[in-house]
Amino acid sequence: MTTRDDQIRQVVAELDVHIAEVEANVAVLKALLAEGEVPGEEDPS
Amino acid sequence: MTDVTSETLRRWRESQGWDVPRMARELRKAARDTGEDVAAHHGLVKMIPQWERGNRAPRERYRLLYLKIFEDALVLSRGAEAGVNIAVRLAEVRSRAASLPGPDQIRALEAGALAKPRKTLTPVEIRALAAEAIAQLHEVAGKLTKLSALLGDESGEDKS
Repeated sequence: MTTRDDQIRQVVAELDVHIAEVEANVAVLKALLAEGEVPGEEDPS
Repeated sequence: MTDVTSETLRRWRESQGWDVPRMARELRKAARDTGEDVAAHHGLVKMIPQWERGNRAPRERYRLLYLKIFEDALVLSRGAEAGVNIAVRLAEVRSRAASLPGPDQIRALEAGALAKPRKTLTPVEIRALAAEAIAQLHEVAGKLTKLSALLGDESGEDKS
């Protein structure tokens, strides 16, 4: 196992975390949009 | 080499595509290099199948010769295995990064979510959520660039 391999593993692990953060936030935003599309949950005004 | 089984000796030999006479020649060659005295070629051709079947155990001098012969191959094999694991993880993480929405798409989601009052989140929380997603997206782009530099390629993807 080389230093370069270790660095790659480290960056991949960090990428994993950041990607998961984006995916989670985007999932919430999409869920909010979907919530607005559910009949009966829309604002009646 | 007490943990090396007779089966392992056969696998090592076969991993190089060597038949028994070739293995005998390699043992004698390694012995010559280290000044060891070993059995004649025909003797080794008889002994190797016995070692590989587990009928008898090789003496220490032969065990050390096996290690000398296969040491480099074993190190290379372990390195290659680690490389494959990294490559798989790399492909996986890049694929996930490529499927993320861009900043414009996140802003569009934010605008859609803000268009109507929501029961679950306030507008401030929705804006904060979108801003955080975009900030993390920039982090992803930065890490992909770093990864490309480490790999010495130009295939990193920029999501910013």
